[in-house]
Amino acid sequence: MNNVVVKAESLTKRYEKLTAVDNLSLDVFSGEVFGLLGPNGAGKTTTINMIVGLLRPDSGQVFINGIRVAAASHVVSESVGVCPQASVVWNKLTCLEQLQFMGEMYGMQGRMARKRGNELLDILELSTKTHKRANTLSGGMKRRLNLAMSLVHDPDILVLDEPEAGLDPQGRVLVREYIKSLARVKTIILTTHNMDEADRVSDRVAIIDYGKLLVVDTPVSLKASVGAGDVVEINLERQTANEAHIRKALTPVANQLSIELTNSTLILRALNIIKLLPRLMECLNASGIQTEDIRLRENTLEDVFLHYTGRRLRE
Amino acid sequence: MKMWKVFVKSMREKTRDRLSLILSLAMTPIFVGLYWLYFSGGSMVYEVMIINNDINVQTSDGTPFSAGENLIEALRNQTYSDDQSILRIRIMDDQDVAEKRLKDRKSQVLLIIPETFSETILAASKGEDPQPVAVTFMGDLTNPYYSLAAVLAYASLDTYVQYITEDVRPIQMNEIPISGSGARTEFELYIPGLLIFSVVMMIFDASMVIANEAEAGTFTRLRLTKVTPVELLGGISGSVIALGLIGLLLSVATAAMLGFRSYGSLWLALLIGGITCISVIGAGLMVAAFSRNSSQAFVIANFPLVLFMFFSGAIYPLPAVNLFTIGEITVNLYDVLPPTHAVVAVNKILSLGVGLNEVVYEITSLVILSFIYFAVGVWLFRRNHMKLT
Repeated sequence: MNNVVVKAESLTKRYEKLTAVDNLSLDVFSGEVFGLLGPNGAGKTTTINMIVGLLRPDSGQVFINGIRVAAASHVVSESVGVCPQASVVWNKLTCLEQLQFMGEMYGMQGRMARKRGNELLDILELSTKTHKRANTLSGGMKRRLNLAMSLVHDPDILVLDEPEAGLDPQGRVLVREYIKSLARVKTIILTTHNMDEADRVSDRVAIIDYGKLLVVDTPVSLKASVGAGDVVEINLERQTANEAHIRKALTPVANQLSIELTNSTLILRALNIIKLLPRLMECLNASGIQTEDIRLRENTLEDVFLHYTGRRLRE
Repeated sequence: MKMWKVFVKSMREKTRDRLSLILSLAMTPIFVGLYWLYFSGGSMVYEVMIINNDINVQTSDGTPFSAGENLIEALRNQTYSDDQSILRIRIMDDQDVAEKRLKDRKSQVLLIIPETFSETILAASKGEDPQPVAVTFMGDLTNPYYSLAAVLAYASLDTYVQYITEDVRPIQMNEIPISGSGARTEFELYIPGLLIFSVVMMIFDASMVIANEAEAGTFTRLRLTKVTPVELLGGISGSVIALGLIGLLLSVATAAMLGFRSYGSLWLALLIGGITCISVIGAGLMVAAFSRNSSQAFVIANFPLVLFMFFSGAIYPLPAVNLFTIGEITVNLYDVLPPTHAVVAVNKILSLGVGLNEVVYEITSLVILSFIYFAVGVWLFRRNHMKLT
């Protein structure tokens, strides 16, 4: 697990005045599921494209299994499978024909590619569609076929771009379970906006924004880093939602929690926050701060994401 | 091997898109059929209306003489080499009705034979010097067929008068058709160009199929495999060539069914069609290089199509714009278009019956140009769609 299979060193990519990826370095270990998170336009896809050899970095380099990646080299094609976010299939070919063709393009013998194709169709519950053309499949089925096409040559490293996008709940569970089953056997790099998905399947998560790597760690550590334990979200009456006033009101408990105010929502994080709750309410009431409703929940990866990337909309 | 797999995959896709396949393969045979209809199943037949006011006369031995009827018979007897009539004669009584037909372009010429036509011709045949008589040709001069029909009718009239009056002209035209050209119908003259046109039409298929792969992201997917751009584009091009040759064969078969006779090697013509396909695919790649999707490719492909179609002489021969001469070879502006050489070569082979040795220059030029077009197409496409950025 501590064997580095993908190493990105100081990757930078610029498009005219925009720096899409800015001096980004990361290591992905053998057998781990590595989540790559970031807002739209953060540089995730650019980073992935440089890792798999579809894009040439302006500076920096990528190593796969210790070998420097040149454009579309054998290193990449043999070791890496890429599942794009959009379903990239040939509509006029049957499911099996696509898989066999892709296998052959990766250098597999036709018979082997066909056998592997049948296996994948079975695993991803598409065996009833083996001889059906892709244009007759539903969107979710196409997504699963898309995933199968990235796995047909049995790569060591699998890059999945939003693998659960466009899937119904059953499809999501199937794909998630399959990804989990591949973990430890294969190294998986996962880009997603779905924090729940990343939290459930990732061993480590990296958050990037404006092309920079902000943080990389296990989901548990990341959640702890932004306020260990639980979260209380209190919706305040707008007239009383003044940050300075709130901070002053909470001074008696300030050393036991973290305070964040977004619009009129007060977000408080602390260990054993339930015990603190009566005291908190007392402080707020004493200062005349009116509450509308209160929600108690566990800290999530979304909190981590928003903590590092902020709440401002992108694109 | 991978090129073959790409070829098989592309052929599968094409054969499964039946509507597009049928339409693209049927296009040129339909054009061949249209030309056949256009030339009335062989060569153009012009309708000549005649109002015969001629009054019969008697010769010195009492035999009735009708120069007007004789002229009408002579006009009817004008035929092409395949015995098809050149003129369709319609006898009219009412000049107003005849003029309406001219205005409606249902006829090309109205010929009015005067009352004294027989009398004048008979007098001339006896060596007398009769008062000249006017035969009227009436027609719509804005109708492009009027001139041709009038000239043909006048030629019959002139020949008939010469024959009867034994008026020997000091100069006679001696026409020698080269090779088998004299026996060709007008329909047949256009077939070699149409065959190359069938190949040129493949530019839509070539550009759209490639643009479609780029648009769908399948090219990007394949870039991550071990397939090389040459294998990929070669396989796809192979399928376009295969369809181009099938289209060519269908066009030849349609033409043959409608009366086209080949004087030379069909296989050699097919080989030239195949080489032309490569240049068309090259142009298709250039189009695809500048297209983001297949719809855009369709629109852009019209430009090279028009160039290839009209400036190569595939549809109608254009006057040459000579640039320079090297030895015995004059280089024409349109020689930069590969189909120009293909049209000339296929015409020589099929219409004039020449062999390989007489089309070496055209085939060499075609091969060189096709290679250049294909290489430029591959280079542009790789640069715009497949190169690392």
